[in-house]
Amino acid sequence: MSNGERGGISRFIRESAVWRSLFRQPYPTTSRTRALAVMNNVFLHLHPVRVKRHAVRYTYTFCLGGISFFLFLALTLTGLYLMFFYVPSISRAYQDIQVIEASVAFGSFVRNMHRWAAHLMVLTVFLHMIRVFYHGAYKPPREFNWVVGVVLLFCTLWLSFTGYLLPWDQIAFWAITVGTQMAVYAPLVGAETSFFLLGGIQVGQDTLLRFYVMHVIAFPLITAIFLVVHFWRIRKDGGISGPV
Amino acid sequence: MTQHASYGPVHGPPEGEISRRGFMRRMLGVGTGLLSLQFIGGTIAFLWPNVTEGLGAQITLGTAETINTAAPQWAEGLPYVYNQANLFFVNVPAGQARVEGEGLVTTPIPDPGDEVVALWRKCPHLGCQVPQLCEASQWFECLCHGSKYTILGQHRDGPAPRGLDSFPVSVVDGEYVIDTREVVSGPPAGTTGFDERTTDSIDHCTG
Amino acid sequence: MTIEKRPNATADKNVPTQAPARAPLTTPGTGPKLPGPPGVPGTERFRLLAYVKQESMVRVDKRPDETLLTWPHLLRAEFVMAMLISGLLVVTSVFIRAPLEEMANSAITPHVAKAPWYFLGLQEILSYFNATVAGVLVPAFYLGGLAMIPFIDRSPYKAARDRKLMWVFFMCLMLGGLLVTLIGSFFRGPAWAWTWPWIDGLFFTL
Ligand code: HEM
Ligand code: FES
Repeated sequence: MSNGERGGISRFIRESAVWRSLFRQPYPTTSRTRALAVMNNVFLHLHPVRVKRHAVRYTYTFCLGGISFFLFLALTLTGLYLMFFYVPSISRAYQDIQVIEASVAFGSFVRNMHRWAAHLMVLTVFLHMIRVFYHGAYKPPREFNWVVGVVLLFCTLWLSFTGYLLPWDQIAFWAITVGTQMAVYAPLVGAETSFFLLGGIQVGQDTLLRFYVMHVIAFPLITAIFLVVHFWRIRKDGGISGPV
Repeated sequence: MTQHASYGPVHGPPEGEISRRGFMRRMLGVGTGLLSLQFIGGTIAFLWPNVTEGLGAQITLGTAETINTAAPQWAEGLPYVYNQANLFFVNVPAGQARVEGEGLVTTPIPDPGDEVVALWRKCPHLGCQVPQLCEASQWFECLCHGSKYTILGQHRDGPAPRGLDSFPVSVVDGEYVIDTREVVSGPPAGTTGFDERTTDSIDHCTG
Repeated sequence: MTIEKRPNATADKNVPTQAPARAPLTTPGTGPKLPGPPGVPGTERFRLLAYVKQESMVRVDKRPDETLLTWPHLLRAEFVMAMLISGLLVVTSVFIRAPLEEMANSAITPHVAKAPWYFLGLQEILSYFNATVAGVLVPAFYLGGLAMIPFIDRSPYKAARDRKLMWVFFMCLMLGGLLVTLIGSFFRGPAWAWTWPWIDGLFFTL
């Protein structure tokens, strides 16, 4: 990467104090600098410096956990975009979606991506769980991480479910009506649970607002917290499990 | 008890008398626990829905005359659909005549007095909107999963656990007033009334 | 937990890292019998380099060929996957439109009222059983059962033949769930009546 005498401007940039305050070392090419790069970067140090050889094989994890996480990030980003054009009000929500579809630049694209990524994430999380089971990776010392995983599965489903109502169209309305009515059958507090979730006795404005808040802030936050625990546990439990 | 190699030995609290320090620590734990419970309770209380309009209020429908003007077939037993509160307002004697005449009513009954019921259109199965009376069977037939109810809301068929829920109606100065603040659970499955026909004996709108 | 002291873990930068084949021992009874720097018995110095739980990645005695550097190997794998998934998402989102039906209307129940697909299994079960069982006990048992797996299966063995019971249990949850979800998604139509997708058409929206 050295350009000796040439490259006035790029050299100037790379020798400037600003650049060097950002990148403390040259592009890592040796084992030592590569290790440092992973260790010193807050994002990369999610990973250990070295990983087991089989953990890198696609056919060990099929990257399913990683894909789920990537989809979570993609959903956060596309969701953020959609939020700029969406108001959670029963008199506006549906029109807002129509506007996003019809007149916002790339609006339809972003909405499609948010929707398909959400469905895909439910799928990959299930598959990830099956892969973990297959490898017996829930066994000690990873029991707790498996339980964290089940919480994440629930969060994923709940995020998806709350998001389903937001377009305020017929599919959304009736799917949520049918879905929340299931809660009414819970023993003792069923009717109260449904009342609490819906913010009333029928799906309406209060429901839309509640679902919106759960969808855009409460559950993304809860999920992110559990993800942090999940990843932390993977490292503390000795990295990825071994082959069966 | 077996112990897995990954874990160290279990450390319990020291046995015997509770020390002063131990006591304080426990009290601190109990206090924090109580505070958390309070916090959770307070959160639920804060988030508890605050219903002020629509269903959940007292609704005045008007006199029998008003209803007859709005829905002439009410006197012939066809339930009056009151959309704002999502309910069927059933004229019971006319309804009985309609069921017995299989849809034909020779003498309409325009004023049933207090012989009326206000059925909530939300299917007690999974909450679908129950459509207007099916012509073939003179029953309410839910499109979602095929639950069927008589004109009085008694459950006849399908997966619903009970009959249609209803709201109390009172007559104040000749006007019907429906109190939607309280839902009256529908009659348990198997309750019968004047309509004793069975599912197989008649045609239906849904399967 | 163990504190492992090994020849190269004890090495100071100024001292050759190669431990001799047979290292001299300290006087018996005065401390752990550990190899010291070559040729200077009794002068060994120790540093605590790692405090390692048993199954940790960075075991001091790891054999070098068990692991790879995260940079570039793992990061490359992750990058490739991220690109593939992004590509897939972009292509899907360009060509397949997310559904949007009529505006919500509480007065019109559509002929087919289905929950999102991942709940259709549950909805299917609801049409068989009493609602408390199907709507509440089944999902509670499902998630609870999943969470309990590590505490039910306490054997240390991971091969399928050594945990047949767990496999049966897990497969019942997964395949059973898949079956009812498929039925609910594709074989149920108006009024939740049985339909054949190739005859009556699909009643399914994503
Ligand atoms: C939001 C959903 C989830 C995300 C983003 C996620 C992410 C990950 C990632 C990135 C890994 C590293 C290995 C791999 O890629 O397979 C992992 C491992 C693991 N996950 Fe998840 N996960 C999620 C849900 C779950 C669920 C539902 C379970 C189980 C019920 C689970 C249990 C585990 C366990 C036990 C490991 C360690 C596996 C091993 O050591 O082989 N996770 N997770
Ligand atoms: S909601 Fe009416 S039968 Fe299921």
